[in-house]
Amino acid sequence: MGNKAARNLFIIGSLFFFVVFLALTVDTLGKLDKRAPEITQAVDDGKMVWHKYDCIGCHTILGNGTYFAPDLTKVAARKPKSYLKQFIMDPKGVKGDAVMPTLGISSTEADNLLAFLDWMSKVDTNGWPPKPILATAAGVGGKELTAGQLVYQAQGCSNCHSISGIGGTSGPDLTKVGSRRDRDWLIGHFKDPQKYVKNSAMPPVTASNEEIDQLTAYMLTLKEATK
Amino acid sequence: MTMKYKSQRIAQYFYTFAILLFLVQVLVGLIGALEFIWPNFFFLKFHIIKTLHVNALVIWLLAGLMGATYYVVPEESETELWSYPLALFQFWATVVTVTLVVIGYIWMGFDPQANKTVFGTLILNEGREYIEAPRWADILIVVSVLLFLFNNFMTMFKTKKWTGIQGTLLGGLVFLALMYLPGMVYTKSMVKDQFWWWWVVHLWVEGAWEVIAGALLAFMLMKVIGAKREVLEKWMYIEVGLVMFTGLLGTGHHYYWIGTPGYWLWVGGIFSSLEPLPLLLMVWDAFRTTREARQVTNRAGLYYTVAHAIFNFVGAGLWGVIHTLPQVNKWTHGTQITAAHGHLAFYGAYVLLVMSMIYVTLPAIRGVKEYDPGRAFASFWWMTISMIFMVFVLTGAGMVQVYMERLMGLDYEAVKANYNLWFWVFRAVFGAGFLVGVAIFVVDYFKLGGEAAPALQTATDRG
Repeated sequence: MGNKAARNLFIIGSLFFFVVFLALTVDTLGKLDKRAPEITQAVDDGKMVWHKYDCIGCHTILGNGTYFAPDLTKVAARKPKSYLKQFIMDPKGVKGDAVMPTLGISSTEADNLLAFLDWMSKVDTNGWPPKPILATAAGVGGKELTAGQLVYQAQGCSNCHSISGIGGTSGPDLTKVGSRRDRDWLIGHFKDPQKYVKNSAMPPVTASNEEIDQLTAYMLTLKEATK
Repeated sequence: MTMKYKSQRIAQYFYTFAILLFLVQVLVGLIGALEFIWPNFFFLKFHIIKTLHVNALVIWLLAGLMGATYYVVPEESETELWSYPLALFQFWATVVTVTLVVIGYIWMGFDPQANKTVFGTLILNEGREYIEAPRWADILIVVSVLLFLFNNFMTMFKTKKWTGIQGTLLGGLVFLALMYLPGMVYTKSMVKDQFWWWWVVHLWVEGAWEVIAGALLAFMLMKVIGAKREVLEKWMYIEVGLVMFTGLLGTGHHYYWIGTPGYWLWVGGIFSSLEPLPLLLMVWDAFRTTREARQVTNRAGLYYTVAHAIFNFVGAGLWGVIHTLPQVNKWTHGTQITAAHGHLAFYGAYVLLVMSMIYVTLPAIRGVKEYDPGRAFASFWWMTISMIFMVFVLTGAGMVQVYMERLMGLDYEAVKANYNLWFWVFRAVFGAGFLVGVAIFVVDYFKLGGEAAPALQTATDRG
């Protein structure tokens, strides 16, 4: 192949692939809005809040950004909004060891940011992030779950709390909660967290009295290993 | 080799600016590495440090490539630059703009509320990774790049010597300038935001910049060992051609999980898997050409040129391809594995490229025939060994993160604070090692040519 032929191949080939890329781009742009909910004014304002505080400087969203803090693509689907709002405005007040700085985010800004993150969590991302294999499998293999464990799952408690390392770290670790709290405290706290823990950002558990009893019984089994 | 045209000395202004920013980039990088361990030890919090780290990187590489272009174009066109004063003006205008942007970032670190919205855009920081620069700075940067392109185009037009090298270089630079524009549009949808953002980021680093790298590699091989232009240019066309054929549709590997249709899994998976090919070809090209080398006076220049080709392939190619298939990427996307890839890719593909160009052209600019390459080698090994270990550490951290967070379901913070702690410690240690290498390089840059030349024994000994 001569130099001229190589040059022409480079130019024409590049143009060809660019045209193909453009065609796919046009097709994609036509499909994006159907893969996401409608963008309200609050969602758009929330996106500006996201940009204003340079959230991407620590976090990732859709997996892109900085790997210093958690990905926030689905955070609104996993954690209670009330918790998120309180945390965004005063991270260290909610969680003493929080790394996030207090940025001075106003209440309105926090509401808009949550509207944006709520929109984000509903975008069809081809199944990303994937559900963790082991955590999903835990509880369905081996033995039947107790009634209390089922309530724990159904309420999504593990989004914020951990037991033996599995679960979130937004709320206190529950691995040994049965050694620390008694039945009355637990039941009362489930119904009105703020009455028992000042500044708690946990929402009340909305379940029947029977379910709360079952959940409490489960919590009481979580004790320091005696063997 | 000596400088043929006086106006080529403008390159040195850009090199000096680039090197100072390089030092800043690595200094703040080390601060950021320490903030992974002690988040509050420094008065600027991590997001400000990170913004400075990546923006300094992009700007110093661009400044280095601009300097290199100002050197190459007069040489290839066999004439003085069209306008030296314009180039000097463009240089100082760029320095002022960049300084203002940096002050804005730091200001925001003290007062987050200072980043106000004016005429619908944020005035200090747009909050979009790599292209955080606010809109007013975007416009100034575009003006600067246009002046730069215009000056070089007019220089080429003076003698109309359309060599393959400078044609390809100009093509790559025009493509680079055009691909900055999609990043200047505000979209209400975060999905569209990221869609266009990748046009800038991917089509720069895996498109325009690689085309520029291909052209500069050919130029350097020609200068350092006197390889034949005919052969070099043919392979250059094949390399940059393959870069475009794989890289354009390879953008699809960023469109797997951001809310875009499923067919990108196929398009991105197939084409991005082929992206290492042109980079491998460049390695082969560098080795094939240098085997014929008999008389090499600029040993450091040759060393850096070949190292650039190798680490471009390893960092951008191999470390990218390991997690580019959607089946793998589903688990690794957004983890420290990407950080490992990013570090080695930018180091191999572009840091070493700009440093090669500096070592190939600076002796000529300063009128030095022979110089002691000792410090150049020392800085190379300090930087390269530190970077390789840092990348191993980050890859390890990423593997632990993928396993514990993505497969087992442990919380992000738990993995980061406990299971990855020692990785952060070692990353900071190797970051400090990298800083030592950069410091040696900075010293060498300012001293090169100012010292007595060593005895003339290198060329014959190495034969």
